[in-house]
Amino acid sequence: MSVMSVPLQASARALRLEFKRNAVPYLLPLLAAVFYFDALRTADGFPPVWTLRASVIGNHMLYAYSAFAGGLAAWAGSREGRRKTVDLVAAAPRAAWARLSVALAGTLCWLLLAFVAGVAVLYIHTALQATWGGPPLWPAFVGAVGVIVVTVIGFTAGVFFPGRFTAPLVAIGVLVLSDIGFREALSVTASSGTYALLSPATSLPVIDAGVYYHVAPDLSITQVMFMGGIAVALYGVLGLAPRLRELAWAGGRPSLRAALARGTDRLPNAVAVLLVACGVAASWTAFALAGTAKPDAVGGWQIPALHSAATDRPVPVTMHCRSGSGFQVCVHPAFSFYLHDVAAALDPLAAEIAGLPGAPRRAEEVASVSGGNEVQSGISGNPPVFEFSADYVGPMFGAFFGIPNAAAWRAGFREGLLNAFIEGPSQHPGPVPLDPAQQAVEDVLLTAVGSQPLGASSGQTAVNGKLTAATLANINAAARRFAALPASARHAWLAAHLAALRAGTVTLAQIP
Amino acid sequence: MNVALTEIHRSFGKNKAVDDVSLELGTGVFGLLGPNGAGKTSLLRMLATVLPPTSGKIRLLDRDPRRPAARREIRQRLGYLPQNLGYYPSFTVVEFVEYFALLKQMPSSAVPKAVAQAVERLDLGAKAKARLRTLSGGMLRRVGIAQAIVNDPDLLLLDEPTAGLDPEQRVQLRALMRSLGESATVIVSTHLVEDVGAACSEVALMSAGKIVFRGTSADLTARGEGHGVGDAPLERGYSAVLAEARS
Repeated sequence: MSVMSVPLQASARALRLEFKRNAVPYLLPLLAAVFYFDALRTADGFPPVWTLRASVIGNHMLYAYSAFAGGLAAWAGSREGRRKTVDLVAAAPRAAWARLSVALAGTLCWLLLAFVAGVAVLYIHTALQATWGGPPLWPAFVGAVGVIVVTVIGFTAGVFFPGRFTAPLVAIGVLVLSDIGFREALSVTASSGTYALLSPATSLPVIDAGVYYHVAPDLSITQVMFMGGIAVALYGVLGLAPRLRELAWAGGRPSLRAALARGTDRLPNAVAVLLVACGVAASWTAFALAGTAKPDAVGGWQIPALHSAATDRPVPVTMHCRSGSGFQVCVHPAFSFYLHDVAAALDPLAAEIAGLPGAPRRAEEVASVSGGNEVQSGISGNPPVFEFSADYVGPMFGAFFGIPNAAAWRAGFREGLLNAFIEGPSQHPGPVPLDPAQQAVEDVLLTAVGSQPLGASSGQTAVNGKLTAATLANINAAARRFAALPASARHAWLAAHLAALRAGTVTLAQIP
Repeated sequence: MNVALTEIHRSFGKNKAVDDVSLELGTGVFGLLGPNGAGKTSLLRMLATVLPPTSGKIRLLDRDPRRPAARREIRQRLGYLPQNLGYYPSFTVVEFVEYFALLKQMPSSAVPKAVAQAVERLDLGAKAKARLRTLSGGMLRRVGIAQAIVNDPDLLLLDEPTAGLDPEQRVQLRALMRSLGESATVIVSTHLVEDVGAACSEVALMSAGKIVFRGTSADLTARGEGHGVGDAPLERGYSAVLAEARS
């Protein structure tokens, strides 16, 4: 009876034993703690956007799971050597490959269960908060294949190098390799080598990845192919393990001849060699494909041979809008959790500048990356619309990360709108420094709607950069004068001088 | 013949562990005696098909173990207790025996009954659900024997089976070996000559890789007459043969 014809029922019974007496459950509490303190808490710090939250799988979960999976699999793989049952099991008719496969499967079942449970917790947690979309499957699939390949690597290492130190060494080795892969993946650019993209760990995606446009699965397919190929090849090596070990132990020529003369099953050996060849071919193909990767228009990567044009089309969606006091604010439904806050921030300011030339009638969130470039906030169109992205609003970058409080967040949004309103059309992407007169006017308008100015008056001149202490004093003096005017007078002056103010021809002394 | 060895040699580097051994055995209990390093364990490992001979011919259960298919068939009908029994501490007694029953490719439906019988025959019923890590050395030895006999083997190889057993257990084990020897070939490698005297129908004595004596325990006893070394008659025979071989 060959390995191929081992009765399934017996395999199932053996698998039950391996599953029941596996070492993985002993470390599950520790794994759960690492998952909670690293992956889940990191995800909790992200806005509830599916793609963003799912990035935690590759960037955090897989780190911890890989180290555990590698170490525990090595422990399981080295069992026969460590426990000195090599002769005992070798005297049994069941093929070594079949026996090792069951032991590997027992470990893999536990690790995959733990991984799936982690992903389930992450996704359920996200589902309770997310306002649009559904769980992305590719990151979970890539993560699962990552766990599988690390498990097979660890198990194979344990089989070939059985010893009590194999498991910790494999765990440490996997951590180091993951870290190198992560750092390489972060530094990958279109001009540098793109092979690091094969690492399932990646840089943090843009905040609205998978919201306005689909996330192309090209990279995920390549990663699965690469890691799956390694796993299949190593599984084939496991099938050749007894033969390889026999030859390695054979030593001198007479014993080598004896070892060769023993003869082994040809079919399992052929299958094992075929698996090694297929695995290497798959990994090599993935490696070659990764070399052709190039950045796509929406902040991801595409691989021409795998790319589907369908993923480049925008995701059809109906924006969520709110018109509190006549000023309409629209955001993507994925970000509807902050619609109220954005409207609350912009409504008073919109009322303050309503009727002035170029004043926006509405505000609309747009994709943060378009045509491969970051989209900055600004006012465009007729009637004018203030466009902002979830990632960039005026001077704020990464609006959901690192903003200490709600007031600062509101002030940032307001400053973004005012910058766009006062600066006028810009020739440069990104925030443009205001001139002193523009800054003084902006400060007054911000103060009028109850926000602490983030610019010159508050001393935060880093954005402007070029202002001196004397200029700051002059800006503050002009702002105080302008603020002392009645609102109607300010409005009238702005209506008359806004064009000149935008053109940069108004001086501080000319501000009433 | 269940075992037929013809001019078997096995070397480890320059060390000849087994040197020109020829042997034919049918059913019965066969004792393998000899000092440390005599080659008993190497010979048993070759009979267990886990160690190939450097040269010579082995036929087990009328099959050539060099052929993969034949080797599998031999292993299905083989029971083996190594000298150093490895075990998995987290397994219970029943699980360990069941695991090896499955490795021996017993029909899945027959496994539970066979496991229960093997456990009972070794008087391990009270400890059936105990983890192996909690058992004493003697208990573990009995678990090892239980896994060896779980498939009701036609060829049973026991390397130091009575090591660590108390006198009562040794008596029980000898009885078991005699019972098994009625229908199978049982080869027992041991240092304890009283085991041979009580359980074995035939005995061989190895020294420096060679078989220097083969006969019944009575024959071995006879060789010791007039020889002063040893407390028991069989021990005197053992010493006399060894002294003769070394001279």
